[in-house]
Parts: sequence; structure tokens; C-alpha cells
Amino acid sequence: MKHSIGSHPFTTPPVGAARVEKVAFQVFRLATYSILLAATLIFGIIFAKGSQTIFVREFPFVNVAFLTQSPETLHVFEHEGQRHELGDRAFRAYMEKRDNPTIKEESYVYSAGGIFPCIVGTFFLVVGSMAIALVVGISAAVFLNEYSRGGPLVELLRLAILNLAGVPSIVFGLFGFGLFVLFAPVFGAAPVVGSFSLPLGFCYLNFTGWGVSLLSGWFTLAFMVLPVVITASEESLKAVPKGFRDGSLALGATQWEAIRTNVLPYALPGILTSSILGIARVAGETAPIMFTAAYVVRDRLPWQVDKAVDVLFQGVMALPYHIYVVSSKIPQNEYTERVQFGTAFVFLAVVLSIALSSVILRNRMRARYRW
Amino acid sequence: MSVYWEQHLNDIREQLLMMSGLTERSLSQSVRALLERDDALADLVEAEDSEIDELEKRIDGKVIAYISTHGPMAKDCRFLITASKIASELERIADQATTIARRTRDLNKNAPLQSMAGIPVMAREVQSMLRQSIRAFVERETNLALEVIGRDKLVDAEYKEAASEVETAIMANPSTTARELHLLTVAKALERAGDHATSIAEEVFYLYKGEDIRHSKIKGKLPV
Amino acid sequence: MKTDTAAGSLTPVIPAIPAPPMIEVDAVDFYYGKSKALHNISLKIPAKQVTAFIGPSGCGKSTLLRCFNRMNDLIDGARIGQGEVRIQGVNIYDPQVDVIALRRQVGMVFQKSNPFPKSIYQNVSYGLELQGIADKKRLDVAVEKSLRGAALWDEVKDRLHSSALGLSGGQQQRLCIARAIAVEPSVILMDEPCSALDPIATSKVEELIQVLKKEYTIVIVTHSMQQAGRCSDQTAFFYIGKLIEVDATEKIFTQPGHQQTEDYITGRFG
Repeated sequence: MKHSIGSHPFTTPPVGAARVEKVAFQVFRLATYSILLAATLIFGIIFAKGSQTIFVREFPFVNVAFLTQSPETLHVFEHEGQRHELGDRAFRAYMEKRDNPTIKEESYVYSAGGIFPCIVGTFFLVVGSMAIALVVGISAAVFLNEYSRGGPLVELLRLAILNLAGVPSIVFGLFGFGLFVLFAPVFGAAPVVGSFSLPLGFCYLNFTGWGVSLLSGWFTLAFMVLPVVITASEESLKAVPKGFRDGSLALGATQWEAIRTNVLPYALPGILTSSILGIARVAGETAPIMFTAAYVVRDRLPWQVDKAVDVLFQGVMALPYHIYVVSSKIPQNEYTERVQFGTAFVFLAVVLSIALSSVILRNRMRARYRW
Repeated sequence: MSVYWEQHLNDIREQLLMMSGLTERSLSQSVRALLERDDALADLVEAEDSEIDELEKRIDGKVIAYISTHGPMAKDCRFLITASKIASELERIADQATTIARRTRDLNKNAPLQSMAGIPVMAREVQSMLRQSIRAFVERETNLALEVIGRDKLVDAEYKEAASEVETAIMANPSTTARELHLLTVAKALERAGDHATSIAEEVFYLYKGEDIRHSKIKGKLPV
Repeated sequence: MKTDTAAGSLTPVIPAIPAPPMIEVDAVDFYYGKSKALHNISLKIPAKQVTAFIGPSGCGKSTLLRCFNRMNDLIDGARIGQGEVRIQGVNIYDPQVDVIALRRQVGMVFQKSNPFPKSIYQNVSYGLELQGIADKKRLDVAVEKSLRGAALWDEVKDRLHSSALGLSGGQQQRLCIARAIAVEPSVILMDEPCSALDPIATSKVEELIQVLKKEYTIVIVTHSMQQAGRCSDQTAFFYIGKLIEVDATEKIFTQPGHQQTEDYITGRFG
């Protein structure tokens, strides 16, 4: 049966609409592909340049020194007709061996050695702050989602969380500096003159601040990712079917028993998944730690302390801050680039591996609880 | 698969069997009362009728209760409708037995008639039809049911024969007219009972085959 | 012929002087915030019988059911206005009543079967473990007994320690029943227990209800008229928060006393 054009119910739409449709489609597609372009550029350049630092041609193919040594000053000089590029220690050994000959020498700060303290420091910062953020965040989410019954106070809390998420990271840095570095309380045997002290009977609580330390950094970073963790936890808690709670309660569980045995275990995989985002932020932010926890350089590693408690009260080097330092705080020259890109490469790898391990952990938990 | 509510259906089935047993007994007792001129037996038949009426009501009640609470389907639904109808047919057969019992007492007031106008044969036939229709129900045998339906023609013929015998007897001896008319009523009651037995057989056929053969040509083609 | 059944009744009639009711609802008003969900409900639920609550959605039947184990407490603004709900003679809304203890006495099976994503065994033992029972042998015995009680034992005895979520829908619902009877309640509340099940699974659950009623008082909310008809001894019809009629199930289904009930059960409602 033949239809004349126009009477057919499935005729193509008018030409104008079809053209707009085509253009719109292409615009959306280009926009999407531009993301790919940006990602390729960033990862490609960092990988290409960074791998020159990280990988070497001979066995073991990885620049072990870069990953396991502390940053050193690079000394470049000519001696006995040869051009030398040596790190601090090697340079001193060289000079001593030859009874300190007079040479024309140029030195470049942080351009030799490695970034091991930064890796360790970032690791410490991430683990500590995420632990705090998860404990506080999950607790808060449990309160908001399971216990609270709405009302103006809860609305205010939610508003606060929302606003906290929008606070720029540098403000968190300043906040952490003011609260934790300068003011936070420390137990002491005697009151400290010039600061507020709270007598507790057996000792004093001196509000002298924690100084630039891991502890200050942890709390600052934890508060920064708290909104992410709370939101993620709430979403995960909401995803646990109401039936599990009802089922538990109907069997005579208290609310906390129901949450502990039949809600949190199933929500944890989801909480961890979303917290991966938080990990990347904690590891990546420079601003919050530059006043609170990061040292430009520190020779000792975090575990090289006199007393165990000092672990908490020491500053650390961190990868993002090191990138910032070597990129903008020291004179640029042909030697700094290898440190910059090498650090960025390692930084990406560290963040990726932390994220990956929490993905694996999450998958394991999820395999155990599936509904 | 046996389901937990099957017990209700079995209950109805058992009541129905009990009712058919009572009806069969009632019919055969009324015929025996007639042939043996036994007034006491006739009284018993009349007395027992109320029990059968009661059973019919009970079965109907159960059927209605079951239908409204369980929403039965297919064979369950057919069974319930059939049960109610069979109960109703049985009750009518029992009513015919009562009629026979009453006429028996009337007949017994006078001297016995010379001829029973073929009633013993007819009664045997009708009783056997009733038994067979019930057997068809119990044994789920639709062939038995078809046989019953076929035999209805025989009973009809026997009734016609009985009627003409009665007519002849009245003409021969008008003084026996009243008694002969009683006899004719008995014959008519037996013929009606045969019709009800046939109806039961038709219901049984519908129950097990799902096919309604009432008022159909099939009866004409049945073997006798 | 003397029997203990009335003419035409499928089941023995509830005796004229019944045993003291298991649950007594006495002039109860119930509110969700400001809106009144139940109006002056009075109802007696006899022990070891099945009572069905029927009525259109939003008629309050589930609300009343959830009053019996105080699951409504969890809903914001839900409260009982006036009246009492007495279970075994005790007003369960008395401040001295421990909700936890109450819920152990009044078990519940939900509309959507909600086995925990744990093993079959752990699902059943959960309620007992909440009570602090840790003795493995005692738990083993209780788990087997409950699963047998829920007619599930033969189907799952070889995979007690595999996930409950591997069971079929009907099995899951029976597992939830096993879980409920494991804590040995005296009442089991069922909130549309078969609404998500196919007819075969439904008939298994219904059959189970017939067995369970020998030991437990059962209250079932259902949208299926046939289910109420098949499994219950007593039926209550609710409409917009009011109890329209309560009577023996057969009475309700063959000769309801109210026009609204008749319209509802014959599908001529609204």
C-alpha cells in the first residue's frame, strides 16, 4: 500500500528540526570528547616526563634512589676535565677524598636525591585523616539518618554540612592553623605561662596548640573531607533496605543493635567507595597542610622519633606540598623539572594505589553482603 | 498436589455420599413398603425425609460458604455447583419416595390390587439408575453416567405401559379406580425419580468432562 | 444427626463464651502527626486463631497491626491518642512496658520478605543471639525447630550456611516466618505476607498459617479476599480508619452485615 508523502504517519520531521538535532548532537559529543582530551594531556605529559625520572634503562629499571632517598642539593661542577652532577653526600665524599680541591661549583637545591619522606608523609596524612573523618563522618551520618527525627536543629546541621563542603581549602588551612596549631589543648604536668591552662587535678590542659604536626594536619584534612564522608555515608545508609531495620527491630533488637548488625555492615562498602573521593582530596590538597602539617624539608622520617607520642607532634613532608615547593619556591633551572614531574608521577601513582586498594577492599566486603 | 483446603471439599463430598445413601435407602424402603404393604416402613420413609432435607440445606450452605470464602476455580467450581445440584436432585427423589410411601398407606387401606402394573420392574430399574449415577460420581466414570441417561427412555416406556395397564384395569373394574389412580401416581413418582437420576448422571458427566449434555441430541444416540 | 458444626458452616463456630482474647483493642484512636489514622477501634482477637484485616489501601489495617508490636513508635509523630491495646491483659502502651520485650512476644512478618543478607542459619539464630544466647548447641536445636516449624527444614537443611538470598521468594518468606517463631512469640503479625509471592508459594505460606495457628495467635493483613477467606477464622473490615465490621470469616464472606463490607468483598467499592 502506498502513502503519499505527508499523509504517512512516520514521515521525517521538518528539515529545520533535523538540522538542529544534528548540530546539537555534535556539540554534545565534542564537549564529551574534550574531557578525554584534557585527561590524555594531563596524564600523558606527566607520564611521559615523569617516567624519565622514575624509570631507568638498566636493571632494576626503576629509579630506586628517587623513591627511597631524601631530597638533596645537586652540585654541578667540573673537575679534572670531567663534568660531575652529584648529590650532597656524594659531593662531600668526593671533595673529602680529594682534599677539598678548589672548583667552580653550582648548587641546585632539592634537585638531587629522592622524595621518600614526601611519600611517607602523604601516606601518614591520608591514613590518619581518613580514619578520623570516617569515624566522625559515619557517626554523624548514623545520627542524621537513623536517629534524628528532623526538626530545625537537624536542618541547621545539614546546612552546616553543605556549607562545609563549599569552604575553600585554604580557609581550612587557616582554620586548622588557628585552632589546632595555635590553640589546641595539650596535657602537661604544669601550667604553661602565657597560655590558657585548665587544671584537671592530676595534670593541666594547656591550650598551647599542637604546632605544625601530623595531628593538626589530620584534623584539618578530616574536617575538610567530612562533608564528603557524611554525604556518602548517608547515601549508603539510605540504600540499605528499610526491611533490614524493621526485621531486626521486630525481633526485639534495640535500634543500635539493628544498626550495628544489620545496617552498617551492608552500608560500609558504599561508604568506602564514596570515601575514595575523599582520599584523593586529602592526598591532593596543599593548602590545608601548608600551615598545619607540612615541612619544606625534614631529614628525619616520621618513625625516627625519641618518644612514641612525638609521632603525632611532628610535621612531615608531603607530595603535593613538595611539588608546590619545587615548582614555585626554588629557582627554576634545567634540573628542577625532573623532580617536579617525577614527584607528580609518584603522587598520581600513590593516590591511584590508595584508591585501588579501597576499591578491592570494598569489593571484598560487597561480595560478602549482597541483597 | 493436595492443598490444605481440600478437606472442605472432601467434607462436602462425604455429606453428598451420605445423602445419596439415605435417598437410595428411602426409595427402596418406599418400594418395599408398597410391595409388602408395610405401613410402618412407609411411616419411616416419611419420617426420614426431613433428615435428607436437612442434609440438602447443609450441603448448600457449605457450598455457598466455600464459594464465597475460597473463590474456587475450574474443577473445584464445577464440583461445588454440581454438588449443590445433585443434592437438590436427591432431595427430590426422596420427595418422590415420600409420595410412594403416602400412596402406599392409602392403598393399604383397601384390599390389594390384582396387578401392580409392572411397578416392581420399574422400581428396580429406577433404583439401579440411581445407584449407577452415584457410582459414576464416586468412581468418576462418565460411561456409567451415559448408560444411566440412556436407560431413562426405558423407564419412560415402562411408565407409558403402566399407565395403559391402569387404564385397562379401570375400564375392566371401575370400582378399583381410586386404588388404580394411587398406583398410577406411584408409577409417575418412579418415572420422576428416574428423571432425577438421569439429571444426576448429566451433572456427573459435566463434572468430570466439563461438557453440558442436558437437552442435547446425545441422548438419542445412547446405547440402551 | 448431631455435629458440632452449624448448618452449612465450613468450620466449627467460635464458641459463644470464648477464651480470654489474646489481643484486646479498646476504643483506640491513632494519629500520624495531626491526622487521625484510626477512629475509636475496638476489637478482640482470640488466641490461637487467625484474624484477617481487610480493607482498601490506607484504611488503617496496617497501622493497627503495627500498633500491636509498637512498630509505629519509629514513625515520626505517630502516637496512640486514647484507648488501650491489651495483649494478654497488659496495656502495651503503658510506660512500664519494655518495647523490646514486647516485640519478642509479638513477632512480625513483613510484606516484602526481608531476610538479612546473611546465611540461612544466621537469619534464624539472629533473634536468639540478640537475647544473648550464644550456646552453639542450643542455637542448633532452635534453628532446626524453627525451620521445621516453618516447613522449610527439608528444603534448606543441606545449605544452612549459604546465603538466605539464594532462596526463592516463597522460601524467603517462610524463612522470615522461621526467624519470627525462633524467639517463641505468642502472636505473629503478618503484613500482606504473600503479596509478592506466586500462587504456589502463596498456598504454601497459607498452609503454614493453618499449622501455625495451633500454637500461635495470628493476625494477617491482606488485600486478597480469597486469602482472608481461605485462612482466617475471623475477619475485620476497615474503611478510612474505622472498623466497619468484624465477625466470623464465613459470616463476613457470605452475609456481611454492612453494605460497605459487601461492596468491598464483591469488588463493587468506590
